[in-house]
Amino acid sequence: MFGKLFISLFLLFIFHNDPADTQKKKETLMSEKVTQMMEWTSKRSVIRMNGDKFRRFVKAPPRNYSVVIMFTALQPQRQCGVCKQADEEFQVLANSWRYSSAFTNKVFFATVDFDEGSDVFQMLSMNSAPTFLHFPAKGKPRKTDTYELQVRGFAAEQLARWVADRTDVQIRIIRPPNYAGPLLLGFLLAVIGGLAYLRRHNLEFLFNKNVWAFSALCFVLIMTSGQMWNHIRGPPYAHKNPSTGQVSYIHGSSQAQFVAETHIVLLFNAAVTMGMVLLCEAATSDLDIGKRKIMCVAGIGLVMLFFSWLLSVFRAKYHGYPYSFLMS
Amino acid sequence: CCGLGMWRMSSLLSFSILFLACLAGFSSRLFAVIRFESIIHEFDPWFNYRSTHHLTTNGFYEFLNWFDERAWYPLGRIVGGTVYPGLMVTAGLIHYMLNLLHITVHIRDVCVFLAPVFSGLTAISTFLLTRELWNQGAGLLAACFIAIVPGYISRSVAGSFDNEGIAIFALQFTYYLWVKSVKTGSVFWAIGCCLSYFYMVSAWGGYVFIINLIPLHVFVLMLMQRYSRRVYIAYSTFYIVGLVLSMQIPFVGFQPIRTSEHMAAAGVFALLQAYAFLQYLKDRLTRQEFQTLFLLGVSLAAGVVFLTVIYLTYTGLYAKIHIPIIASVSEHQPTTWVSFFFDLHILVCTFPAGLWFCIKNVNDERVFVALYAISAVYFAGVMVRLMLTLTPVVCMLSAVAFSSVFEHYMGDDTKREKPPQEKAEEGLGPNVKSIVTMLMLMLLMMFAVHCTWVTSNAYSSPSVVLASYNHDGTRNILDDFREAYYWLRQNTDEHARVMSWWDYGYQIAGMANRTTLVDNNTWNNSHIALVGKAMSSNESAAYEIMRSLDVDYVLIIFGGVIGYSGDDINKFLWMVRIAEGEHPKDIRESDYFTPQGEFRVDKAGSPTLLNCLMYKMSYYRFGEMQLDFRTPPGFDRTRNAEIGNKDIKFKHLEEAFTSEHWLVRIYKVKSLDNREPLDHKLRSVVPRQKYTSKKVTGLLYVCT
Repeated sequence: MFGKLFISLFLLFIFHNDPADTQKKKETLMSEKVTQMMEWTSKRSVIRMNGDKFRRFVKAPPRNYSVVIMFTALQPQRQCGVCKQADEEFQVLANSWRYSSAFTNKVFFATVDFDEGSDVFQMLSMNSAPTFLHFPAKGKPRKTDTYELQVRGFAAEQLARWVADRTDVQIRIIRPPNYAGPLLLGFLLAVIGGLAYLRRHNLEFLFNKNVWAFSALCFVLIMTSGQMWNHIRGPPYAHKNPSTGQVSYIHGSSQAQFVAETHIVLLFNAAVTMGMVLLCEAATSDLDIGKRKIMCVAGIGLVMLFFSWLLSVFRAKYHGYPYSFLMS
Repeated sequence: CCGLGMWRMSSLLSFSILFLACLAGFSSRLFAVIRFESIIHEFDPWFNYRSTHHLTTNGFYEFLNWFDERAWYPLGRIVGGTVYPGLMVTAGLIHYMLNLLHITVHIRDVCVFLAPVFSGLTAISTFLLTRELWNQGAGLLAACFIAIVPGYISRSVAGSFDNEGIAIFALQFTYYLWVKSVKTGSVFWAIGCCLSYFYMVSAWGGYVFIINLIPLHVFVLMLMQRYSRRVYIAYSTFYIVGLVLSMQIPFVGFQPIRTSEHMAAAGVFALLQAYAFLQYLKDRLTRQEFQTLFLLGVSLAAGVVFLTVIYLTYTGLYAKIHIPIIASVSEHQPTTWVSFFFDLHILVCTFPAGLWFCIKNVNDERVFVALYAISAVYFAGVMVRLMLTLTPVVCMLSAVAFSSVFEHYMGDDTKREKPPQEKAEEGLGPNVKSIVTMLMLMLLMMFAVHCTWVTSNAYSSPSVVLASYNHDGTRNILDDFREAYYWLRQNTDEHARVMSWWDYGYQIAGMANRTTLVDNNTWNNSHIALVGKAMSSNESAAYEIMRSLDVDYVLIIFGGVIGYSGDDINKFLWMVRIAEGEHPKDIRESDYFTPQGEFRVDKAGSPTLLNCLMYKMSYYRFGEMQLDFRTPPGFDRTRNAEIGNKDIKFKHLEEAFTSEHWLVRIYKVKSLDNREPLDHKLRSVVPRQKYTSKKVTGLLYVCT
């Protein structure tokens, strides 16, 4: 700090009346701005800007660095869900740049929140958030300097491609690894191991067929109800019609499904399976005849009811399917 | 004598039920043949048919060494070393045998009816396997289920001449022999299992499922302390002989000792030897504690290795899903519950009950079927085409569930009451029993009806010939594909090279007998990307690519006239994506969208799209065509839009052929033009002076 002050004083003193004074002044101003920006970036990879800073560091002319700015509205009262997701991706992008070995002062990432710099929004006559703009080091922003959010989405990888396109700076996206899964798995294994150790003299439960059969059935039911599809495709839980407010739990097409729907199907399948098991139990168990009769009736009831229900759900999704049973 | 009579009676009954199941399975696969004709379906079967034809005309060794110069121009393809030859050899062998007996059948008919015949064999082997697992009754039910279940019919209708058709038989039969060899512990059955496994390896890449499931079975048996000499003999024999046999297939080669998906089998083999050795030592040593500890350590380590391998293959599988060319194939998608229900109907809800019974009354072979069910259901959930490997086990376990119910509710009480006072209170009463039986039978009837409906409506279309139905139910046959391919066969040079998207490569080679650039064996991504680039560039850029690839004709599929949704414009984004993957500088997917991010073919569509080669070839002269009076001319029925570029002119291409319903359009690539005349005026030279030579010799010199 002291050195910088000294240098600027020195420069001021030497070139006080020089014809190249303005040029030098410009350079000084520029290096000051760069230093300031670097200082901010070292604190947090995305610089928060308000109207003042924006005008000084982005709008004002002497500048040899590009700035990529996300205009957003993150305050909770704005209720912008997309902004939050976009912000996360933008942070990933900025962090990947900040901590990469190729980091230079050619590009800076910044954000302007509507509630802190609404004058900037007015100045740029912008009325939607989030918006990504690139302010090139030289010249005015062109049409391509506005990121096509609708077309390309806000994944950090796409943003990086756009930045590479605009500034020739290649950013390799490094997402912070998600430790939750392995940690949870490790924790579960530890718990199981601990339990096994505590009960090491009584490992009977490992030979309990019911436990094994039950877990196998759970796995099978999870798979046949299409949970894998949900895992890979990530559909919404249910669909709410925005105009009528009606919630539909069953997707209308046979090519897709909602999460709620798969849960329903899982329950139906489980009920039919239980019905079959009950039917067999009723015929073979040692209980008294009354209970066995109840089991038998419950079993056949479960099978018939839930299968026909399942069939009707299927019919609703698969258009043109001609058969139904008990209920249409 | 009475017992013998009963036995005879029941075996006669079993025999006739099995026979009827095979017959039902065979005949329900004939919808396509009856509606259309005896014709090979879809895409891959055309290649299989073509190579079988090659095999029968040129002999086996010629087939093994076959270098196909008509595919992947200019690269060509070594066919013998890159196919599973089991299917072709089977069909060729049957053809040879029939001809030996002077039953002269064309090889095409053998190919068409191969899958239905093998479905009968599948029913028999499923019967055998289920009988080993549960009892005769369950076996018969399982055979009936597998004969008609849509999940298996989808791959084995008449005309669908594909590996899976025979592979499911091989799969079930290998499992039957495996279970048999574990039960008996005899080398004889184990060798039989190896031979069947060899057949499976020669037929389908899905053999990897066997070589992982059987070791898993052995491993779990060891964990459950069900290790026995029988298991040791069965697995040691199977692993060694099976390994050697599987390496005889040229396409498999040394993979079984190199790749990760075979490592689990090797690991379990080593573990089994170590375990057997320790068992041997155990009789001689006293340090029991040490041994158990050691065993625990070994099995834990092996388990960890096993899980890692599975994890690695899983992640590998997962990564593959994201490569565009794999993602573009609809068979590689995860499975919705609707597909499960559609393909399995009542079986999908009842087979968990069978699994429950198997685990409750566990023994060596039921451990196997439980593992089979769990692994197959997982793979079917990940990828819709693997529904095929799930289907047999679902049939078996559902048969177990239904048969347990029928056993208790259908059985005649008189026979059971013979041992007197075994149970004080017997039976649920005839009324309840008969109602339950009736309802169960009704469910099974609904299953049969569902299967027939699905087979008839969803799985019996040859997709080479299309059919449309009028309001009064009469049928129109749209035979455009064969019309166009036949045109190519008759009207083009024998060595003409046809460019099309890879979906149609096998059909062009099979039906038109012309050279193709890319086909359904998608082994060379960059070559496909080059074709994709040509299709998505503008005409002059595409012409350069086509010149460099020596293309003579371009074939595209256009469904806008009849509203056929599987046409090239609908696949077009995949072409762009695949091209972009290899040539990101020239092709960008975003250029083909409107600024709003829509893919539109009308006036609002992006100009890049409206001027690319695929668009121009699809809609050439389409702007003049008015399909009916309610819509403007140039109205695309597939995308329900009036096209945006009606004035299409070609410079380097010319229309060669368009089929009756415009479904197939073929363009000829013109050879290079003569040099264009210069557009400025020629310099007019005014002769200064008339001068005629008087030298005759000079003139003569010129003339000679």
